[in-house]
Amino acid sequence: MSLEVHLLSTLPVLAPVVAAVLVLVLDALVLGRRTVHLATAAVGLLVGAGAALPGVLLGAGDSVQAFCLASGECLYAADRLVSALQVAALLGALVVLVLAWPEWSAEGDRTPVVVALLLGATAGAASVPAAGDLGTLLVSIELATLPTVVLVALTDPRWAGERRARSVEGAVALLTTSLVSFGLLAMGAALWVAATGTALLGAPTAREPVLLLLASVFVLAGLAFKVSAVPFHAWTPITYVTAPLPITAYLATVSKVAALGALVVLVRALGAVDDTTLLAVALLAALSMTVGNIVALVQTDAVRLLAWSTVAQAGWVLLPLASLSSRAVHAAGSYLLVYIAGTLLAFVVVVAVARATRGGDTSLEAQRGLVRSRPLLALPLGLALLTLAGLPPAVVGLVAKVVALRPVVGDGTWWLAVVAAVNVAIGIAVYVRWLAVLLGPTGSGAEVAPQRHTPVAVWGLVATLSALLVVGSIVPVGVL
Amino acid sequence: MTDRLTDLARATAALVPDLGTAWLALALAPLLLVAVTLLVAGRWPTAPGHTTIRALAVTATSASALGVAGVALHRPVLELPWIPGLGVWLRLQADGLSIPLLLLTAVVSVVATLLHLHVPPPARHTPVSDEDVAVTSPIPDVRSLDVPGLATYHACLLLVTLGALVAFLAGDAILFFVGFELVLVPMWVLVARYGDPGSDRDGAAIRFLMVTVIGSTLMLLGLLGVATATGTTDLSRWAELRGQGIPPAAQAVLAAVLLLGLALKIPVFPLHTWLPWVHATAPTAGSVLLAAVLLKLGTYGIVRLVIPVVPEGFSLWAPLLGGLGVTGVIWAALACLVEPDLKRLIAWSSIAHLGFVVLGLASGTQTGLQAALFGNVAHGLISALLFVVVGGLKHRWGSAHLSVARAALREGAPRLGAWLVLGIAASMGLPGLAGFWGEIGAVYAAWTPAADRPDGWFRLYAVAAAVGGALAVAYGVRVLHEVWSGDRVEPRIPDAVRTERVALRILGVLVVAVGVLPVLLLTVTEASVVAVIGR
Repeated sequence: MSLEVHLLSTLPVLAPVVAAVLVLVLDALVLGRRTVHLATAAVGLLVGAGAALPGVLLGAGDSVQAFCLASGECLYAADRLVSALQVAALLGALVVLVLAWPEWSAEGDRTPVVVALLLGATAGAASVPAAGDLGTLLVSIELATLPTVVLVALTDPRWAGERRARSVEGAVALLTTSLVSFGLLAMGAALWVAATGTALLGAPTAREPVLLLLASVFVLAGLAFKVSAVPFHAWTPITYVTAPLPITAYLATVSKVAALGALVVLVRALGAVDDTTLLAVALLAALSMTVGNIVALVQTDAVRLLAWSTVAQAGWVLLPLASLSSRAVHAAGSYLLVYIAGTLLAFVVVVAVARATRGGDTSLEAQRGLVRSRPLLALPLGLALLTLAGLPPAVVGLVAKVVALRPVVGDGTWWLAVVAAVNVAIGIAVYVRWLAVLLGPTGSGAEVAPQRHTPVAVWGLVATLSALLVVGSIVPVGVL
Repeated sequence: MTDRLTDLARATAALVPDLGTAWLALALAPLLLVAVTLLVAGRWPTAPGHTTIRALAVTATSASALGVAGVALHRPVLELPWIPGLGVWLRLQADGLSIPLLLLTAVVSVVATLLHLHVPPPARHTPVSDEDVAVTSPIPDVRSLDVPGLATYHACLLLVTLGALVAFLAGDAILFFVGFELVLVPMWVLVARYGDPGSDRDGAAIRFLMVTVIGSTLMLLGLLGVATATGTTDLSRWAELRGQGIPPAAQAVLAAVLLLGLALKIPVFPLHTWLPWVHATAPTAGSVLLAAVLLKLGTYGIVRLVIPVVPEGFSLWAPLLGGLGVTGVIWAALACLVEPDLKRLIAWSSIAHLGFVVLGLASGTQTGLQAALFGNVAHGLISALLFVVVGGLKHRWGSAHLSVARAALREGAPRLGAWLVLGIAASMGLPGLAGFWGEIGAVYAAWTPAADRPDGWFRLYAVAAAVGGALAVAYGVRVLHEVWSGDRVEPRIPDAVRTERVALRILGVLVVAVGVLPVLLLTVTEASVVAVIGR
């Protein structure tokens, strides 16, 4: 069996891996200097994103391929959508890295490990959507997941014991979920091979249609854990709240790319999906958005609210996949990109505000009157929330909602469309509630802590992400 | 007469240079630029004074009104690809259906920015021992003040106007939806932050937002359904197709979804419950914009997105729609007879007037549609006028409750009183004023509906609507009796200040002009109405 390896094509995945190795080597060579490690990681992520960027401009049908078999099938193939997801994953990881920079550069011994784990998980997330066979898919998913468990558990050693214990709790929740979901995925993969006789994902010709259906349902359930779709979402709120804030941002964005990437691979491979799988996806989507939004409606903590909003948004990402439309996959991808930009911006601001308050307070109350006290942070946060809610002036969020709804309406799945419509309204209530806190009168003056300086890098992130959303709102061409 | 008017319009158009799409830019750009400027300036450590802010805002709306006038005369068309992935074009144009509403929006936005923002005084707690003592309230300040957040307030007014203009100008379904939604956040801010602190303004604001969003998302589903069936989002293409290629069953579903979404916005009975509450809470200018402009988005949506696009589906639901419209007329009129809050009363009367508009739309005849479009504009002018008066009174009185004994307006504030009489008279539908033609036309159209409408039902609707018209006279008299007539002169209130006088003159002159010369408006809409009815 001959194998054509185009190693350079896999640079988006390879660059973070190489950077991870470099970081570990550097740790042995250079003692005490943390900035070097962080810089190496940043360069690795940038190189990866730079390598994936040309793929975004590919025409329809073209793809960058590697590890091609003699039969013409490739184990790694990145077309326009996959490249866009890779860019999003790598840049998202970069944002998280910048966000965690002050903590990690001060932390001491753990930095190289943490950075290497982050890079490893990102490499996994970048490789999932490009996977061309079940083996690559499973390995990539686990590469994207397992390091995050450690990232959640490895907290700041200066934290109080009780707080650190809770982090471990969150990590255990994540670990248990990962194991269960891996079990389901492995089971699904086995059934898949049994049904089609091959581990390759390119257009399976089912010998056993019933078995293939069973396989796809198992894989779907396994992936639903990763996207944190209801009823597989139980870990999300626990883990999000206990993990360090930048890691939570990572879980909410980059990890989602991995999960959605896997779903994209699955939906593409199944081609004309049968009705049962569609119904399963539709149910997952409808449940996720409804439960996520309703629970988010009563949260009083910004991170908890974002965690539940993630569950709801996962439903929106799944929504177009519940239709037979050829645009479905692109619609889900577009929605995910907009969601990532909005969520990252929200997290960056939440982190900046939490750092400025005593004890890292992330409650909504701590943000009361932010528009008056810190308008330069509050307005971008407002923009991010409006994007997630899908309300103008953040037209980009509105367009994303339109894109996600269109395949469903085109398919005539009216019950799902109406559930989604109701959820638009509940979702708006969720984010507007937060917005109202930002606009509200400032809390009693005594509590306002002396504001600590917000680092330039955070301002850079806020400015870049806001600019991205504003440009996306004026010219929403980025929507695929 | 019609020919002479057309000639006159042509002669006027020849006098005004045709700047093409620059007119569109003039209509929209000042609003956006000044709104952004005000938002930024409001965050500045040294916020600009109230004179500067109001001057900026009024300049922006006046410039925009000039642009709208130019657009109405020359009807330029702007077409740019906007979202290639969805096939959406940035298509801005004006036709007979939208021009009256564009002009109405422009006028009302000038009025809204002219008005002062009054900050209601904090609620006074009367000690129990003093409860029986008649308190003379201090004479409130009705002139401009340096209110915190005044820049944001004016920016929100401008953004609401901008969204409405975009929606009325939109030649593309998705763009219409964007304009429709653009209005929501600024309006929410207006109610939640600048509304009456004595009431549950957060609740009112969020209710407004929720209801509108549910409505607009349902509308979006309908729009996407039509877009999938026709393969385009171009509104003029939709109107040309007249529902070809959409099977009757799908038309029925699409029309139902679209009508339900738009009925929440208009609002049609029984989906109207949010409106009185929001009106009672919103600041005066917010009420003016809400009644005169935002509600029109719903009726305009029916004319633009439902009647020509899914005609068979619409004629299926029209009898029900007409029935609900008439029920709204009667129901709201009855509510007006007992409503104790003057501002809520005017809101109820809005629901009644829009019931006539809906009835006209449902009749499916050219007369009905003409009457509906006319009623739209007439209601916009009358309700704006009434809300300016009543909002001013509410501030002067401290509340709008009718059970409290007040000085009779005829004695205490004759100017405000005169404008109130004019507004109420127009609202009663007296001939010679704007309200008359829309309502008489709607009743007439319901009596002789289109061929495919159930005759019997519509005749019943016509009779019921006529009864509703009589009830309008009754509640109008009630308002005048309780507020305007009488001999009481205490407690004194200041009469209309200059800005109010200017605003009321603009609106009052238009109410009379449109009432005396209805052809002014009917000529503009006629050609488009024929195209919409399509027979």
